[in-house]
Amino acid sequence: MASTIIDIPWSEPIVPAVSDPAWEAEVKRRAGSVAETYRRIAPVPWLRELCLTIDTSRLQFLSRHLLNVVKMVTSQENSCRYCYGAARAYMRVMGYSESYIGRIERETQHAELDEKERAVIQFCRNLVRSNPRPAGPEREALIRLGFTQPAVTELAFMIAGGCIFNRVTTLIACPPEHAFEQFAYGPLGRMLGLVAPVLRIFGGRTPRAAVAAAAAPAEMENAPFERIFAVLSPLPSAVVLLRTALQDAMASPLLPRRTKALMVGVVGRSLDCNFCQREAMSLSAGDGLTEADVEASLAALGSPKLEPYENSLLTWVRDTVRYQPEAIQQQTRVLSAEIGNLALLEAIGVAALANGVARLAMLLE
Amino acid sequence: MSASTLFTLLAVGAVVLLGAAAASQRRRARRLERLLDGTAAKLEALQIQFEHFAPDAVVERLTQDDDRIAPNRREVTVLFADLQGFTGMCDRLDPMDTVRILNGYFKCMSDAITRHHGRVTELVGDGMLALFGALEPNPWQAQDAVLGALDMRSELARYNAELRAHALPELRFGVGIHRGEVVAGIMGNETLSKFSVVGDTINVASRIEGLTRVHAVDLLITEEVKAALDDRFRLRGMPAMAVKGKTQPIVTYHVEGLLPKARPAGTQPAALS
Repeated sequence: MASTIIDIPWSEPIVPAVSDPAWEAEVKRRAGSVAETYRRIAPVPWLRELCLTIDTSRLQFLSRHLLNVVKMVTSQENSCRYCYGAARAYMRVMGYSESYIGRIERETQHAELDEKERAVIQFCRNLVRSNPRPAGPEREALIRLGFTQPAVTELAFMIAGGCIFNRVTTLIACPPEHAFEQFAYGPLGRMLGLVAPVLRIFGGRTPRAAVAAAAAPAEMENAPFERIFAVLSPLPSAVVLLRTALQDAMASPLLPRRTKALMVGVVGRSLDCNFCQREAMSLSAGDGLTEADVEASLAALGSPKLEPYENSLLTWVRDTVRYQPEAIQQQTRVLSAEIGNLALLEAIGVAALANGVARLAMLLE
Repeated sequence: MSASTLFTLLAVGAVVLLGAAAASQRRRARRLERLLDGTAAKLEALQIQFEHFAPDAVVERLTQDDDRIAPNRREVTVLFADLQGFTGMCDRLDPMDTVRILNGYFKCMSDAITRHHGRVTELVGDGMLALFGALEPNPWQAQDAVLGALDMRSELARYNAELRAHALPELRFGVGIHRGEVVAGIMGNETLSKFSVVGDTINVASRIEGLTRVHAVDLLITEEVKAALDDRFRLRGMPAMAVKGKTQPIVTYHVEGLLPKARPAGTQPAALS
């Protein structure tokens, strides 16, 4: 059962906060304030950029109201104490009543939720859980309810983005934003909540993001992960975000490329995502491994041909697909002692990204 | 009384009546809201309690009226464990001690199985049925089951040391593991039903567990499980044996343990080097 905030056990932070004034100024400029997560992931440039871009991405087809609901449900399903607490507090500040939030959390079929909202919540829960991963029929069901194809794509992207962000904050055990939560439930937050519904009416639908359509350069048509970018074409900014993140993650020198590709393959196999497994195969074969080695490593979650720390990473990344926060945080702490905080942050980023991409790949099926 | 005064009085009266009706409706709505919240909280508590009797994923799907819980076929790995000589031990022990020993044993074994992505679905007497890959797809189900069984072996050794320290008799178990298709889902009738699995795979796992007594070993797997394992496990082939309900003798392998890890030339992640 999806937990409520008080049920989510959360351990002490696994990586320390790092002071980087230039980065913090950049976060403040783009997001308004510097959340705790950004201080802890600061040492890995591609990861911090990915998280900040997800956090500040703008909607094209869905209403802000649905985004608020999706963010909260996704973080609840991912049992992310940090994001769930922040998303819930944000909803309070935006004027949602406690009983409305409670009913979304408890999945109570309620008259306040219309058919489309209920369908979105159910789709969101199903995609996060991916047991099994929803596919064509679930997308069709949303379209029958009146959502456009681009809106469904955007919905899947928002959920996948949530899965990425939630994993990053869960795997580093980021301390919750208690100050913001206290503000949201205090008198000032309640006052803000009284005027926010009016603002919501005017800001219900955000204008399309002014990002040029990102067509793949001819030489990249067969590049890794290109097929997923094709289905994301109604969302040019999402294409840019994901393509940049995947390229930068694979190019980063903190962990070998083959290790990261194998990690994507393990997540893909766990979620029965053929797309991710194929991409992992093409990325890792050649880096000291044959295709047969890659297949054997995925089948056994390790191989004598891999370094011990690579074997540890494959076992660990499998458990980032479905987890209990306390248990995965314990495993992550053990891994940190083996590979160090810098490599760990990259591993966390790759695990999160792989989980997001594998869920998003439902758009291909 | 002038017409305007009469009109004013009527208007005031109407406003008062409307206000009273609105206040009444509001009170009624609040009562219903409280009732709904209370019912939801009770349902949630019931769901949490029910999760002690059936896997949590099953309980959740049941509460959502999810038709995916209807019986369907799936490939699973079945682990069947049974205590050997426990019935005789019960005759010599105080029933309270027996229950204490058994509960401690189940706790250790369940923890080991859960650590390896398995789920205990049945406790019958001193026997235990665990499934790997029944409630969520698990491409590593066979190796999970064998690693889980090896973890159970270690847990039993640790638990026996605890029992010895309290001058209580030690336990011995037999574990049989088999892989194949089962039908899993909610079974029963309108008065009594439960989440269960049926199929020949379950029977074979149970028979294989029985063979541990014949071969005098603690952990046996079938050819189907062996085929899904990589070469890090130390296995010893056992003579094929006929078992009840099978026309052909069954080949089994004793899982002795894990081979020492082959450590390649050590390199570190770039971040460490």
